[in-house]
Parts: sequence; C-alpha cells; structure tokens
Amino acid sequence: MIFISLKICVNTQTPLLKFNLNSNLEKTLKALPKPLDLTLLKENRDYNFSPGGVTRMVFPLLKELTYKGLLKDTHWVSLNPFGPTKVIVDGITLNHISLPSEKLKGYGITKEFIWKTFHGLTQDLGPITQIFWQDEFSDFTFYNRLSAERILKLDRKHDFDLFYIHDFQQLAVGHMLHTLKPKIFRWHIPFDESSVPEEWRDFLSLYFNSYDAIIVSCKKYIKTLHHLGYNGKAYYAYPYIDSSPYVKPTKQELNNFCEKLKIDKEDKVILVVARLDPMKGQDRVIRALREVIKDFPEVKLLLIGNGSFSSSKQGIGLSKAERWLNHLKNLAKELEIEDKVIFTGYVSQRELNAAYYRCDLTILPSIKEGFGLVVIEGWLFKKPAIVSVKAGIAELINEGENGLLFNPEDEEALAYKISYLLNNPKKARILGNKGYDTSKKCLIDEGVKVESDILLGFL
Amino acid sequence: MSFQDFLLSLIPPVTILILTWIVAYSLRTFLRRLLKRTVPLVATHVSRIVWMFVWLTGIILILQQLGLRIDLLLLLVALFGGALVLANKDILQNLASKYFSDVYVPFKIGDTIKVREYTGKVIEINPMSTILLTEKEELISIPNTNFLREIVVNTTPKAWKEVIVPIIIDSEIDLAEFEREVIKSCNKFKLHLDERFPPILTVKSRGERSIELTLTLIIKEYGKKDMIISEVNSNIVEIIEKMKKKKKSRPRIHFKA
Repeated sequence: MIFISLKICVNTQTPLLKFNLNSNLEKTLKALPKPLDLTLLKENRDYNFSPGGVTRMVFPLLKELTYKGLLKDTHWVSLNPFGPTKVIVDGITLNHISLPSEKLKGYGITKEFIWKTFHGLTQDLGPITQIFWQDEFSDFTFYNRLSAERILKLDRKHDFDLFYIHDFQQLAVGHMLHTLKPKIFRWHIPFDESSVPEEWRDFLSLYFNSYDAIIVSCKKYIKTLHHLGYNGKAYYAYPYIDSSPYVKPTKQELNNFCEKLKIDKEDKVILVVARLDPMKGQDRVIRALREVIKDFPEVKLLLIGNGSFSSSKQGIGLSKAERWLNHLKNLAKELEIEDKVIFTGYVSQRELNAAYYRCDLTILPSIKEGFGLVVIEGWLFKKPAIVSVKAGIAELINEGENGLLFNPEDEEALAYKISYLLNNPKKARILGNKGYDTSKKCLIDEGVKVESDILLGFL
Repeated sequence: MSFQDFLLSLIPPVTILILTWIVAYSLRTFLRRLLKRTVPLVATHVSRIVWMFVWLTGIILILQQLGLRIDLLLLLVALFGGALVLANKDILQNLASKYFSDVYVPFKIGDTIKVREYTGKVIEINPMSTILLTEKEELISIPNTNFLREIVVNTTPKAWKEVIVPIIIDSEIDLAEFEREVIKSCNKFKLHLDERFPPILTVKSRGERSIELTLTLIIKEYGKKDMIISEVNSNIVEIIEKMKKKKKSRPRIHFKA
C-alpha cells in the first residue's frame, strides 16, 4: 500500500486545451477570476481537448493518480499562444507559455525538421546538421529555456518532487532544469536505431543524459538509448488509452454515420484513422486499394483524421495537413477511385465508434510511428488490424495470430493482405478477437500501473 | 560651530563621494570595454576589484575630510591583512590556483587527466583541490597549486576540440533571450565549429543576483581556438550590455508563478 502523495510538474508542447478564442470568449475570460476554473466554460463552444497523446494519455494518467491520492498540487506547463495563462482542470493547474509569432515560426520550423528526421523523411531536408546553425534553432532553444524557466519558477513556489517532461520538442528542458530533483523524460516518436542520425549522436547523448530516467514506447527503443551512451535508467511503457469512450454505437448513430458518408450495407469498409500527414502513409493504402477493388468492387476506404496541434491555426500554423489532403485527393482521382475514398476530417467520438464498429478491418500504414494507438482502438471493437512493421506497436503483433504486418514500401503485399482478410471473414474474426486480448496491455489501468511504478520508484 | 559652518564642512566629503561614484562607474565601464575580448569571468572580477578599490580609497578620503584619524586604522588594516595572508598562505594559493585554473587549465569535471604519476577522472574541483577518481575507484586529492606548476595531460578523447567559456550574467537579464542571442551570434562563425554540435549554454549556479553559466563550443581546428574565444567573449559582452540597456529603458513586468 502506498501512502505517498507526489507533487509533480509535467511539461508537454501540446496543451491539453484548445480555446476557441473570439471576442465573446475574450470578454468572458477577462471577467472571470484568475486562475481560470475550466468548469465555468463550455466544452465545444469555448474550448476543445487537443487531439492526440496529451488528452488520451497524459491527462487520464494525472487524473487517475490524483484520484488515487498519489498526486497532489500537479502543475502542467505547455505551449498555448492562444489561451489564458493559467487554468485549473480537475485539480490540475495548466500553465500556458506564449511565444511571439516570429519565434513561434522559428520554433515550428526546427521541431518539424527534427520530427521529420526521426520519421525518416529526410529527402528534402538537406544536410542533417544544418538545422543547428540556423537562427530558427535559437528559437527552439528559446522555447525550451522558457519552459525550463517557468518550471523552475513554479518549483520555487510549489517544491515539486519530480519533473515529467514529454516528447522530443522538450528534449533540452532536462539539461536546462538546474536541479538535482528527479527528471523523467518520455519519448513518444520513433526511436529505432535507423531513426537516429549518426551526426546527432553526441548532441542527443548530452541531452538524454541530463535525465534520471527515460521512458520509451516499446522494448526495442531501449537498445537505441543504450547505444547512444545513455547512462540513466531506461524503461519502456506502452502508450495506453481509456477504453470507456469506445462503446458500441446505437443503431441510430450507426445509420446516421453510414448515411452521412454514403456507406451502403453491402460495402466492405477499410478504415484508416490517422492525422493528415505524409508520415502516416495514407497514400500507400490508396494505391493498394486500386488492386483490391479488382476483386472487391464494393470496397470503401474511410480516412478519418485532420491536422495536428502543430498544423492547426491555433497551434504553430503549419499547413502540412492541407497540402497532404490535396495530394491524397489528387492521387485518388489519378487512380480513378475517388468515389471509393472517403475523407471525413475530424469526427466526434460517437462517429469514430460508428466507424470502428462498421469497418471490416483497420490499417496502420505509417512510414514510421512511435507506437500506433489507433490499432488498440480498432481492437477494442474486435476488428482485425494490418499494421506497418515501422510502427512501435508492431512488436505486439504475432503475424497471423493477432494481426497482420506489412512493409509500408510494399503496396502489393498490403493489397494482398487486405484481400486476404476480406476473403476470409472467419480468420478476420479470429485476428480481431486475439487483438482484443492484446489490447489489454495498452489500456489505462495497465498503463497507469506501469507509469506510476516508474514515477514512484524515484522516491 | 554654526549650522552654516557645519553645512560648509560637509561640502568636501560630499564632493569626494560624488567624485568617487563617477570615477568608479567610469572605470568599470572603461575596463569592461577594455577587457571585452578576454574571458568574461576575468573581466567581471577585474572590474569588481577596481570598483572596490576606488570606493575604499574614496571612503578613506572622506573619513580624513571629516577629521577622523585614519593612519592608525590603515596600519591596523594593513597588519591584519598581512597576518591573514601569512596564516592562510596555502589556502590562498590554492584558491588563486583554482581561480586561474577555472579560466586557463584545459580540463573540466568528467575529463580524464594525468598529473605526475596520478591518472583519473576529474569528479570534483573545489576551492582547495581537484579530486580524481581512479580506475580502481580510489579518490586522489590534488591541491590546486599543482595545476599551475605541474604538467597536466588531458587524455579525454577530442578534449582539445571543446571550448568552454565561463559567463556571469545579472539574474535580472532574461536568460532565454540571452541564450537565443548568444546562439545566434555563434552561427556567424559556424564554419570553424563542429557542425554536429550546436553551442550549448549550461547553468552552473544560480544566485539571487547573478547566474553563472558556461558556453560549450566544439571547434574544428585548434589554430582558430584563440580567435574564436576572443570573438565569443566580445559578442557576449556586447549582448549583456545591450540587454542591460534594454532592461533599463523598459518598465519591469512581473508575472505571478
């Protein structure tokens, strides 16, 4: 039995909340007492939870640990140029950092460069080390220092027990936190040996070694950490989700969803849930689809997802998502299958549930992927998954037992595996059921247990 | 003595006080500019010592003007100072060596060095001695004076490439902005730096009034080392001055944590 209450400070780039700022909300915010109590605002009208890991993993973890009495006085520092500086939500204080637009742009360019590098999208980047010597890199450092300074200022007031820093955008924060208190870093993006450029090894090693512990998303990434000369404690913890929102849709919800997207009863539905980003590899599935259609003319490809925080107007403002969407639409047109590809953009949780429930199989076609939680989502609906070998979650799949694997460069193999599952509903059912069993490793209870064990291990 | 006489007698000491302030301020500014290309730590300390000396002289002159006997006071201070120096000769030597080794001796914590027959990893540099950890996990304490007398061999691979510039800034200076400017200024001579390793600013200690930092650069060729150090120092002094001026011309904004 644990009787300790930790005081922790969490740091992420993506904020938990995105505020729908307009003149009305600005007036309301001015009138409300500070720090802002989120219960005084209305979800969907005044704010939305950011899509992605912070809402699905970090927030539930903090809520769960707070509920169990393991955390108290939790602070969360993140970048939020368009929100109130301090917000309280479920007992957690969100501290928002703002960056002037010119620095925000420089920061965005640098982090995009780093992100692309780790995802192997280096073709158009030029020499890999050039990023360190551009003025934009100083904006990246500026943002990290600003985060570290804010965290230290909060620490002087709240005396935290440990600092929990998330993801590559905040990598330098550990080095900048001049304190002996435990600093734990969680790395979310791909981190296999091939992801790390040789030229960055010394630089990365310095930053990694400023953390007392590092948590990566799967077992094989620990090897990379050691090869980089990391001397601290290394853990792996699979990313996780809260399964409670993933419920069977009502008949009405299902009908409405299918009607809206013109999905007929006899249609075979292939589902890809991913943000609009070249790294997510939706183009592979579109190309494979052309082959599949020859045997299954009633097939439909459902592409769910929009841009990330970084590519949104409220975020860093990169227009990557729009460019990629246009590319995918043109590709479908070129292949003369545009009537078979449905782009939904953002969908609500209820619609997402309907999509998972209605589909025949899910695909994770990423060129590189830190993990791939959408596979777990599909498994919760007992749907078979075809997963890229380049995704971290591939280490949970035994080929032909609980899923199918494919190389994202081999579209022919993907087409074959889609057709195989559509042809063998019984096998598809078995894979879906086994996948459901595997999904338990990535549900919040298990995730919280693993992560809280690591955090508490530092006391 | 009338009140008027009293006021008149105050004129010389007040004048000396004002003059002392002017001289101290001007000398400090002058020295900072003069020492612009040296290590910022040295520049800061030299200007601080000169500033203290000017003020001490000013105070003695003021006391003299006020009619107090200072010869005995001076004698006592001199005797006490002399005794202090003699009694702590070794300590002072070590402290001085530590000060100079901070600036000039080419090793740092984490490096493997060889001094006389001793080889080990530097794990601590305190005001009195430098502690080495040997391969057999023995601790060796080497008094700092040795580093000015003995030949020190740094066997750390590529140690010659690493340039560490110590910096002290006023804690009121915006550290994030300072770092951004320093990194940008280093970009100007990137041709001479190892492109794989960006300039890294590290906080060494943080006081109420100042922050001690180091800037780490990895150079490409040894021949350019002095020039790079000189250029970096000059840039840092300029950045500090610019940021101080900016700070003075702007109202202070506080945000609550």
